[in-house]
Amino acid sequence: MVSISRRNFLIATGWVAAGVTGVYALSKHAVAVAPTIIFPDETSGAAWVQIRPGGVCHMFFPRVDMGQNANSGLAQIVAEELNIDVEDIQGVQPSTSDVPPLAVTAGSMSMTAFSRPLAIAAATLREGLRDRAAVKLGEPVAAVLDDVGGFQTSDRRKVSYADLVDDTGLVIERESDQAVPALYAFDSGRQKTQVGHPKSPLGIRDLVTGGRVYTADVPMTGVLYGRAVQPPVRSAQIASLDTSGVAEVRGVVTLVEEGDFVGVVCTTPRAVDKAIAQIQVTWDLQQPITEEEISRLIDVDGKMAAGDLEHILQDKAHRRNADWSVDLRFDVQVQTHAAQEPRAAIARFNDAGADHRLEIWTGTQDPFGMQRFASMDTGLSESDVVIYLQRLGGGFGGREHYEVERDAVRLARAVGRPVKVQWTRADEFMASRSRPASAHRIRIASDDQGNLTDWWYGYVTGHVVFARERLPGWLLPVARLSDDSGVVKGAIAPYQAPHQRVECEDVDLPIDLGVWRSLNGASAIFAIESAMDELAVLQGKEPVAFKIAQMQGEQPRLAHCLATVRKLSAKRRLPEAAGYGRGFACGIYDGRCFVAVSADVFVDEVNQQINVLHLCCAQDVGMAVNPDQLRAQIESNLVWSIGMALLERFEVADNTIQSSNFDNYTIPRMRNMPTLDIDIIDQPNLPPTGAGEVALVAGPPAIANAIRDASGFRALSLPIRFADI
Amino acid sequence: MKVRVNEVEHHVAADWRDETLLTVLREHLGLAGTKFSCGIGQCGACVVHVDGSAINSCLISIADVENKNILTIEGLASGDGSLHPLQQAWIDENVPQCGFCQSGQIMQALALVGDKPDPTDADIDSVMSGNLCRCGTYDRIRKSIKKAALVMRSTS
Repeated sequence: MVSISRRNFLIATGWVAAGVTGVYALSKHAVAVAPTIIFPDETSGAAWVQIRPGGVCHMFFPRVDMGQNANSGLAQIVAEELNIDVEDIQGVQPSTSDVPPLAVTAGSMSMTAFSRPLAIAAATLREGLRDRAAVKLGEPVAAVLDDVGGFQTSDRRKVSYADLVDDTGLVIERESDQAVPALYAFDSGRQKTQVGHPKSPLGIRDLVTGGRVYTADVPMTGVLYGRAVQPPVRSAQIASLDTSGVAEVRGVVTLVEEGDFVGVVCTTPRAVDKAIAQIQVTWDLQQPITEEEISRLIDVDGKMAAGDLEHILQDKAHRRNADWSVDLRFDVQVQTHAAQEPRAAIARFNDAGADHRLEIWTGTQDPFGMQRFASMDTGLSESDVVIYLQRLGGGFGGREHYEVERDAVRLARAVGRPVKVQWTRADEFMASRSRPASAHRIRIASDDQGNLTDWWYGYVTGHVVFARERLPGWLLPVARLSDDSGVVKGAIAPYQAPHQRVECEDVDLPIDLGVWRSLNGASAIFAIESAMDELAVLQGKEPVAFKIAQMQGEQPRLAHCLATVRKLSAKRRLPEAAGYGRGFACGIYDGRCFVAVSADVFVDEVNQQINVLHLCCAQDVGMAVNPDQLRAQIESNLVWSIGMALLERFEVADNTIQSSNFDNYTIPRMRNMPTLDIDIIDQPNLPPTGAGEVALVAGPPAIANAIRDASGFRALSLPIRFADI
Repeated sequence: MKVRVNEVEHHVAADWRDETLLTVLREHLGLAGTKFSCGIGQCGACVVHVDGSAINSCLISIADVENKNILTIEGLASGDGSLHPLQQAWIDENVPQCGFCQSGQIMQALALVGDKPDPTDADIDSVMSGNLCRCGTYDRIRKSIKKAALVMRSTS
């Protein structure tokens, strides 16, 4: 643990040199290994929002822009507090030198964790300025009323923020234990001008006009091009290496070999391709990379037969030998992120005396993690390294590691010039840290009325947060004593039974693993919702009513989503012809986000394909900060659900990764699109829940349940292929 | 060697003549709006127009477009900064999420509405299925194409 004074930090960075800012008493931050997990407290927003001379609100975006547009939602909250329009906020993505360390952008946590600190910071500024306005107007503070961009008196004398802020560095000090000012954004009785309105994401014009917003777009004088050979897995070591052909390639500046790192620097991108093609490598592996090995490692039935699984997540009067109504095993495939942007990084070393000895331009979910790792990699101090964060062309949990950045740093250091590394699509697949394969055994027993008596759910999966590729070796055995927060996502069902047991085990798989949209949530909830649907079918019950009944009133927000989505789905008539079916599923992501999905499918015997025709979603989002952006995230999750249910499978064989591009890793295309109907359940009194990876937990089982309804086929493994039916 | 991009003639230096059109646009001419994503013509992120036809610029050599007219996303808005109806529809419908694929989507859509001024859902499925969007913005892309096509029909 180290302590910093946020005030000293803000002064050192020049943040309080001009304009007005809020500053709080001492606060602390922890140094984590990886990823950066410093969540904001009530004082953190002081470093992100400021009113500058001229009265303009300047905001350092505390989140990484990668498509969820969380910063735009957070800016709406700031605008609400300051009585300005979100379009008038000057938003800037900060470098690691501009702000104190921020947490990795992940886990659909942005709105939940960052909205309140930002609201407090902005409201603190507003109230501090109100005090100054009162002096200027010669009125008591209580007589100084809000106005757009400033204040007014009841007799319409106005004073704007610009009138109150000058070039001197003003500081509004509050002790962190002082009462929080009124937060307009969180006042459900208030008529709001920003929050709750469907504003366009900030910076959208750049995205439709070809603006330079991604890493590889950054212009760089004197840049060279480089790339390193990606191993099939992080733990692989070079067995044999032949680089003799590289020297023949025109445009090669240097070949870099450091242990298991092999890369080239060239004058043009084409020369890089040619030089890399001349490098012949074979790898030593710790485990065989095959489907058979993965299946062997996640053998849930073998492990459950041998005794308790490693982690008992729920245990209530468990009975091993009930009269099981449902006893099914579900298998979920390996899936990967396949973001549209293959990763890129630019690194530049500077001479002593420069502001920073090492500058890195990159799109990463964890900029402060990159700073820390680059410091460890190079021996430079953290303050000598700066990360200029660029927009990400998709993250989905896959971009929080020091990898493409490492390649750029090592190659730039070798040549003493700036180097741009652009991964190929094959590199991107090779280096991906995928969502593990998992196997799930669910046993459910019910009484004469069909109510649940016994629930026994065991599953085995690869590691997620504690994947060996994510933590240093010395930390792994310690970390793994506790539950892997990624592995346990979604494990606890919303259904009630007198006898309940949930257990799991996480194992090393022969491929690199990591954090993927919803972590284990989508996998576990696919199994749970499929099993419950099967029980409803066996009992001849309508599945929505059956599931709501089995929640026994314990999950009113989830039950409401399920009832709402049933109504939505009923707006569209399902054809009575053979092959059509409708399915429902629901789920809770991370204990705080509630969602239900319905799917209409057509199992097309003639063309031998499964078509998703229509998807409905009802999601309880807490306070809906930006309804249109929430809708966009739900749409995204529904499309992703089609990929998970029907299309995507990360292929491995022959000790390597076989999926190398979009021709052998199939993601949804325009022609796969169903129609969508989405209902956002707004709860203005409750905190925003986040939406980036929520509906994905219910989409795949809804599709699987629809296929059951259409064809009688119960999907026991994903992805579901027509041939399975 | 010369290429004409967005009505401006550019000289291509000798070192860059065995690159793809995509690489020359991005790295040599400084037009970074066209994106690299798959490199094998599977995703459409790099779509530009060559003499009026939409092509994947990752698949074509710069030598093959010598003296041809190339249109990229940077050339779509008017000189006065007013956006093309497709770009405006993309903003009105808040299409982009991460945004990375959208230059290619818009350039492919431009080809579609040029060919089919009143595109049906089947036209959109057929012409736009070569353009991947991992964020899943397809529903909004479809709406935006129809909206822009309507604007273009009513103004032409």
